[in-house]
Order: sequence, then C-alpha cells, then structure tokens
Amino acid sequence: MERGYRIRSKPNYETLVWKEKASAHVVVAKGAGGMAVLQLFQQMHPVQPVTVFYVRGDSTDKDYSQTLTKLVGDELQVFDTQMEALYAFYRRLPDMKMGTRFYVSGTESFIWSLCKLAALFDIQESEIVKQLSNSLSRPVYCVHCKATTPNVTTNIVACSKCSRKLFVRDHFSRHLGAYMGLMIDAENPGEVPAIEEIYP
Amino acid sequence: MSTVNVRVAAIEQVTPLVKHFTLVREDGQAFPPFSGGSHVVVAMDIGGRIHRNAYSLMGAPDDTQAYHISVRRQERSRGGSAYMHDNVAEGSVLQITMPVNLFQLIRMGRKHVLIAGGIGITPFMSQLHDLKRNGFEYELHYAFRSPEHGAFSAQLKSECGERAHFYIDSLGQQLDIPAVLSRQPLGTHVYVCGPAPMVNAVLEAARELGWPENHVHSEQFTAPPMGDAFKVQLAKSNMEVEVTADMTLLEALETAGVGPDSLCRGGACGRCELDVLELDGEIFHHDHYLSDAEKSSGKKILPCVSRARCTHMLLDI
Ligand code: FES
Repeated sequence: MERGYRIRSKPNYETLVWKEKASAHVVVAKGAGGMAVLQLFQQMHPVQPVTVFYVRGDSTDKDYSQTLTKLVGDELQVFDTQMEALYAFYRRLPDMKMGTRFYVSGTESFIWSLCKLAALFDIQESEIVKQLSNSLSRPVYCVHCKATTPNVTTNIVACSKCSRKLFVRDHFSRHLGAYMGLMIDAENPGEVPAIEEIYP
Repeated sequence: MSTVNVRVAAIEQVTPLVKHFTLVREDGQAFPPFSGGSHVVVAMDIGGRIHRNAYSLMGAPDDTQAYHISVRRQERSRGGSAYMHDNVAEGSVLQITMPVNLFQLIRMGRKHVLIAGGIGITPFMSQLHDLKRNGFEYELHYAFRSPEHGAFSAQLKSECGERAHFYIDSLGQQLDIPAVLSRQPLGTHVYVCGPAPMVNAVLEAARELGWPENHVHSEQFTAPPMGDAFKVQLAKSNMEVEVTADMTLLEALETAGVGPDSLCRGGACGRCELDVLELDGEIFHHDHYLSDAEKSSGKKILPCVSRARCTHMLLDI
C-alpha cells in the first residue's frame, strides 16, 4: 500500500478495558482472544454482574479455557464451537438490560459475527469494545455470490460458496462485517497471480 | 423561512395554566403531514414587534386539516405566552412556519421510554400517535405538579392504559428515574422533555447506568431569558443593532431585517449560530448546543437565547 495512505473503512481495534459506567458486562472471546479476557480480569473483577462466553481454541489456535475457568469462576461459559457460543450469546440478549457493556476479542471474523448479532438488538458496533487477537486473518465477502469466507490469511482466496478466486481488498464494510472480495480472473479466466499469505 | 397564515378555530382551557389551540389554514388548504415530535414557530405581532415562539405539534401527524398546539402561561414571560393566553381568541390570525422535527423517534429502537415533566408532555402527544400506529413497544412516564395541572392526563390514561404512569408531586408521588432506566431491555431509547432539572436527571442517570449516548434524547427549549439591553455591530451588513431588555438578540436582528436562519429558537439545534469577531465584554451563553470550550472562547453565540454585556460586539453577519 502507498505510504501515508489510510483506508478509512478499515476498523481500528483497541485493548479491552472495563467501562466504568455500566450495569453489567458481557465479554465474548475466542481462542487466542482469551488472553485479552485474562488481561481484563487483571485490571479488576467488576462489581457489576459479568458474563463471559469463551470459545475453546482448537489445534490451530490458543486455548485459555483452563486458566479462564480458574480466574473467572462460574460467570464463565465455555463452548467448543463459535456457532454454539454465538447462539448462546444471542439467546441471552432479550434478557439483558440497557447499560450492559460489551467486549469482544478474537479474529476479525469472530468479532464481526458478534457485532452483526448485537446489531439486531440495536447495539451499535461502535458501542462494542473490540480487541483483535493475534491474527490478521480476515472475513471476506464475495461480491458475486454474497457469501462470507471466514479467517482468510492470503491475498487471494477461493470463495467458500461459489469457489471463484477472490482478490481480498482493504475495503471493509461495517454493515456486512467483512472485507470485499472481487473475482480476480474475470477478464482472463484462469489467470491467477501467485497466492501469498499476507494476513498471518 | 416559509410561513403560512392560520386561523384559530378553537381554544380550550386544559388546565389553569395551559390552553390548547386548534389551528386551520386561512386559505382553507390542507397542512402537510408531519412526524411525531415536530414543532412549529408561531409569529405574534405584539405592539408592532414580532415575537416568535416554538411549540410542539400535538395532534395526529396524518391530520392535515388542523394543527394543534398547547401553550403554558410562563410566569416570567417576555410576552409570547401571555399574548397567546390573553390576546388570541377564536378567529384570530397567526403566522406559523412549516413543521421541523428536532425530536424524532428512533425507528430502529426496540422500545421507547418517554419521560415528560409538565408542559413537556406536548411533543409526546404526537409521538404517541406514531408509536401506536407502528405498534412499537413504549412506556410513558408523566410527572406534574398537582392533579389540576396534569394536562391531557385523562386522555392519556384512556389511550395508553397500563403503559402510562403518572406522578403527581402534590400527592407525594415521585418519579424514580434511575429505577425506570435500570429495568429497560437492550435496544431501548429514552426521550425526555420537561424542566431542566428533570432533563439533567435523566441524562445523568442514563450516563451512570452505562447507556450509550445515542439512546438518550432530550428536548429542552429554553425560554429565552431576559437581561440588560446591549448593542451589537454587524460586520457584513455594516450596521448597529440595539437589543432591548425584553427581546432576544435573534429578534433584534430579525427586526432589523438581517436575521440568521433559525429552527428551534431555544438554544438546542445550533442553526442560528453566529461568529463573534470582536468582543470587549462577556457573553451569557444560555444554550445547550455549544461545547464548554466554544462557550469560553467567546467566538460563537446562539442569538436565540444568549445575550451579552459589552459595549462592542462585532458579529459576522
Ligand atoms: S435556533 Fe436553534 S439554537 Fe438558535
């Protein structure tokens, strides 16, 4: 990318820090994102009710579930898959009250899947504190078939639904929670440049 | 600003201090429909001088035959509300602007909590029409001084049923704002209109409970305070205007034919903002719009509510 040039649509991530004014806290993390949760509890254990949803890391990801269990106690719920965790989170939303603060840490795919669910309850993503765990992998939205391919680490990826070879752009849609992917060999079918890992 | 002449078709004394005016167009045409929470500005010719006050529209937003406003007689009125009460009769002709909405319902909201104090009930009268028509989830909390001062409370009780809650000060009934806000589900928006202490209490409670700012909406039209007379100089129109004790700077500029745009006329919207180029005294900011830094810089003024004590103030107009 050209030096000094900044793509405004690209989200910025922060470090999870408890919000002081709150009625309750809900923390959602996946795999390596568990470290951000451990750091949160290093800051303090808030007086308000806390709920932590954690997706156990798999073979390719770090797993902090044991340490978290010790540190957080019964306010922690551990899940084996992202699906289960997000579903459990979503089912709890109707019982949550205004003033609940939200924190999420994980890959960009995970963060934005959560933001999309929260948006259904009129919680804006700008209200959710987000920390990127140690991966730059991206969710990629196929502008042709409208499917999103999660955790993409390469400059070019085959769409998980239509298999078109997509070039991963820097343009991010908050609404879709993904980077735009455009078919790279539309003009000259089969002509695909070298695929490299650039979002490790 | 485009205005239309209206005739007062009916006047109803709603409480000892509040009158309800039904307005129809003088030319017999229909009004435009509006959205709940809108207001109009009424221009009154008081002894040759034009007073302009903003009033919320209260009727059904799709009623294009008549507009409805309610006016509370203000104790320390500069004349506007007293004029509406004492000089306006059925058949009187007034001028109003087209509706403007600075207090809109957030349609994305999953629930709406309306908190009104006294005459602050008026913008909610039209919003309630919108809420009911759309089948939105809502609660109304309405606090007033004593039973005879609860304007429209009987109507609200029958129309809103269990969703309406009344708090009558003289009977010792207190509205517990933090309690109301702490039991609201995610996706709730709160709207408050009433006296400054009530508005501030709602803003403060919401902040303490951790509500995001964009879920908290308030309307607080300050009645422009009176003060001492002062003079201003105008850079672009190259003239001097005297602001007498009983008129606002905005009214003085309008009288001189150089009035800036205005919407709320209550220090809420910022539309009338003017740049202050030179100043040898002090500005009394009465608005809820400028930031503290802007206020103390002395470089901006909202002429609809703010005044000054100075011998020289050069405005960029
Ligand atoms: S007209 Fe709205 S602030 Fe002056």
